[in-house]
Amino acid sequence: MTKNSRIFLAFLAAMALLPKPANAGNGVRIIANTSVKADAISPAELKGVFLEERTSLADGSRVEPVLSKGGAVHDAFVKQYLGKNESDLKVYYQSLVFTGRGSVPKSISSDEEIAAYVAKTRGAIGYVSSDASVEGVKTLVVSESGNDGGRRLLTRIEPVYPSTLHSNHIGGVVRLKITIAPSGSVESVELLGGNPILGDSAIAAVKRWVYAAGARTKTEVSIPFDPER
Amino acid sequence: MHRRIFGLVLVCICAVTSNLHAQDFKLFDRTVQIHGFVSQGFVHTDQNNWLTMYTSHFGSGEFTDFGANVSSQITDNFRVGAQIYDRNLGGLGKWHPSLDWAYGQYKFRPWFGIRGGRVKTVLGLYNDTQDLDFLHPFALLPQSIYSVDIRDSTIAHDGGDLFGDIQMGPKYGTLSYTAYAGHRDNSLHGGVAYLINSDGLIFNSLSGLQYGADLRWQTPLKGLLVGVSHQNQDNTNKFTVPLPTGPIPDNSSDNSDWINQFYGEYTWKKLLVDAEFRRSWDDTGTKGFNESQIDVHSWYIAGAYRIVKRLQVGSYYSSYWVNFPIGNLVPAASGQSHDKVVTGRVDINRYFNLKVEGHFIDGNGYPAVSPIGFYMFNNPQGLKPDTKALVVKGGFNF
Repeated sequence: MTKNSRIFLAFLAAMALLPKPANAGNGVRIIANTSVKADAISPAELKGVFLEERTSLADGSRVEPVLSKGGAVHDAFVKQYLGKNESDLKVYYQSLVFTGRGSVPKSISSDEEIAAYVAKTRGAIGYVSSDASVEGVKTLVVSESGNDGGRRLLTRIEPVYPSTLHSNHIGGVVRLKITIAPSGSVESVELLGGNPILGDSAIAAVKRWVYAAGARTKTEVSIPFDPER
Repeated sequence: MHRRIFGLVLVCICAVTSNLHAQDFKLFDRTVQIHGFVSQGFVHTDQNNWLTMYTSHFGSGEFTDFGANVSSQITDNFRVGAQIYDRNLGGLGKWHPSLDWAYGQYKFRPWFGIRGGRVKTVLGLYNDTQDLDFLHPFALLPQSIYSVDIRDSTIAHDGGDLFGDIQMGPKYGTLSYTAYAGHRDNSLHGGVAYLINSDGLIFNSLSGLQYGADLRWQTPLKGLLVGVSHQNQDNTNKFTVPLPTGPIPDNSSDNSDWINQFYGEYTWKKLLVDAEFRRSWDDTGTKGFNESQIDVHSWYIAGAYRIVKRLQVGSYYSSYWVNFPIGNLVPAASGQSHDKVVTGRVDINRYFNLKVEGHFIDGNGYPAVSPIGFYMFNNPQGLKPDTKALVVKGGFNF
């Protein structure tokens, strides 16, 4: 092996040891307070919210962005959904602040703290790692149309909140994976997370939902059960 | 006295830095944010004194500014805020604080909002942020367009704006607009006053109506922004002529003042490239008697690259050309200036930055009437045709 070959192999080995950039699409979960009605958000809405161009979603839900203070998930979110890097974003917020046109969103250090803040703050919307615990918040699907998997929801049936659980202040968010048939009916529902009893109620309701006709679509929805309501 | 005030501001800033959570607090259940900045520069030139400082011997550190603002989002759609700004730049500013902006803003929809009060004027890429040194890679923005000495000619207006962002979908990008009108006023401690006073006259005021619009398109090509701005001004300049027989008040009014500006900005990964062209036209005085026309063409192209997180390098070429087609006040003439700049910026941490910048300037514009940083008053020995300058500037913001 020549000297140049050894150097090249050493270079390849060093490259292999470098930290890999996070996969924005798969590594970031968009979460929201359960007061946010939407289950999905379009990339343009998400960008508008975090760049302080809008304070509500298309369905009228009031929203307040929450930033992470840094890290791979933050970098991935900023790049993927805001189309900027960290330095550009800092300049952007500072230009808003020092011309009076906006303010810097609240920033929080860890996924746990972000999820906790989003859970307790009406309208809060943030992002965490896809494997972070998201108890008490709902997950928003990011899709071009701002609706589930690009399919517009025509009929939404609210689930029955079991009175025993409600009276005992047992609530939370149920996450479901659904398949929407070409006709618009919900073909199948799978429980991804949340209280199983609440899950049964949510599944029963979601099976009666009707979407606009289109190609068969799989998507995730989050159903909040708020015992304070 | 002013040094004491500045010292107090620095102490306050240090106190805030030690507890940065203090910048947010609750008042009547509303979050109030306080932010501020300060910068200190040093300029040395090989020949010619520059920017009203005496820079050509040891150099000058009379290059300080600071600002502080308070703002609050009162409701989802309504916010209020205000900022003070003060500077001491050679013969300019002289520690006389000004209300930089103070206004209320109501956003009905993302595509339509209004703001009223004292509002920073949107003109080109950086008119409204030109004082905010920490936002830019360069210690001095291209002086052909963003002259620090005559910043107050365009910086703000007392009036209102209509503004909005029109989302046109992923295929067509976003269109942002601002339309504005209001009264503007040159500072008694700005470059125009400095020029008039140094001519032996006494500057009283230069103010009037300012109105215009800006349209910018965030194109579907990621990172590419293009835009155009137009502004009209209708000013009256009042000054006093000190004669041996006693002072005589005088004034001159604009016949037609306008600015057209075209710009583009492209960001790609760690690279930022931007360019602007401005044409400004100033027609003052009585036709056939003391009419003066000033026609300025200025442009720049700039690039900056962030090598690592805390180090950015950049360069720009800035060109200024001024023409006086009518020779009532002064002989018909023209002048020009070209500035080649290299810079390095270090972000020491998220609050502090340091910039080192070299300027290689060819020409002085037309210093008697339309100076571009070079004034006859503080160059009594006469101006040399070129100047090299070293600018070192440190900044802090929170």
